[in-house]
Amino acid sequence: MSYKKLIVLAAVAGSLGLGAVTMAASPQQTISDRQANFKVIGKSFKAMLDEGRNPAPNIAVYRVNADALAKAAAKVSNHFPKGTGPEAGVKTAALPAIWQKNAEFKASAAKLVDASKKLNAAAKSGNLDATKAAVMGLGPTCKGCHDPFKAKN
Amino acid sequence: MQVPLRKTRLWDLPIRLVHWSLVLLLPAMWWTAENDNLSLHMTLGYAVLAIVLFRIIWGFVGSSNARFSQFLKGPGAVAGYLRGFFSGGPAKAQAGHNPAGGWSVIILLSLLAAQVGLGLFALDEDNVGSLLTSMVEYDTARSLAEIHELGFNLILAFVVIHIAAVVYYSLVKKDRIVPPMVTGSRDLPEDVEAPRIAPLWKAAVLLVLTSAFAWWISKGAPTSLAQLNQPPPPSMEDFM
Repeated sequence: MSYKKLIVLAAVAGSLGLGAVTMAASPQQTISDRQANFKVIGKSFKAMLDEGRNPAPNIAVYRVNADALAKAAAKVSNHFPKGTGPEAGVKTAALPAIWQKNAEFKASAAKLVDASKKLNAAAKSGNLDATKAAVMGLGPTCKGCHDPFKAKN
Repeated sequence: MQVPLRKTRLWDLPIRLVHWSLVLLLPAMWWTAENDNLSLHMTLGYAVLAIVLFRIIWGFVGSSNARFSQFLKGPGAVAGYLRGFFSGGPAKAQAGHNPAGGWSVIILLSLLAAQVGLGLFALDEDNVGSLLTSMVEYDTARSLAEIHELGFNLILAFVVIHIAAVVYYSLVKKDRIVPPMVTGSRDLPEDVEAPRIAPLWKAAVLLVLTSAFAWWISKGAPTSLAQLNQPPPPSMEDFM
């Protein structure tokens, strides 16, 4: 193996290693990312609930928010790596139950993803009634996961 | 020389009803919030709104000793009263709130009005809240929910001080102030001017008006029939 090849290899390995370090976010970063992500869910959900109270709801509002919500919902289950619970020393409402009953937690998160996909599809189809029903179908998935896995403040 | 006593109508029925309904409603508000029964919490909150609003207006049009103009005294009068209170002498009999008690009425009504106002625009983490929340941003509604929670501590502190004062009057000062809040009457010296009690119909009309207002707020303060017939806000039941 020539020196050149070695240097290239070392450089590649080094940058990969550096990449891995920067990829693995700190618990603090993960926690603030997931909180921001939940805020996106809360905000877009509120926008759709408010639109539903409008005498003439606009399907475009549902489309934008259902899409944002579905994207954020897909991220939820990956936002809880081990070490990002109360032990991280950062303020978080994540309960240890998330890791103790991880299969149940993942199932709860999957329900949200499922409901958000249905909502997104309904909004894209343009059927207002189906969309409004899908919004109400999403609500229980928030509470269903918050009750067992999120601390009350 | 002892002035003879005479039975005096001290607290009118509306004041007593306001008082005792709050005694029931405040623990209920706390309990429903703690146990995630937000639909009932909101329903009872509209009742608190109607009652607080009623009491504030009654403070302008009600019986003489229900009126703010009659029982709101300057700091000098309050200080003088408190000095007498702690020096242990017999309290001067009066047919209404004493100077310190008058301010506690204002403080409680302000706390309750602020608390109801905050609650009306607060959203819980699952986006459950009143119809008025559609008027505010998500972040605002969430912050208001947190202040609403803190606000309860102030009300709790007020209730603790109020009860401590009542116990002190009753047991230490031997001033029986609780029975009149139940029966409405008290034996007072003849030279104490009796309050002018407002007619009950006036209170009934006012209660209907403030209840109607609270109902209108509960419907999201609609300004048209179309708005009134909007779908109801999501409640916890919808989310179960």
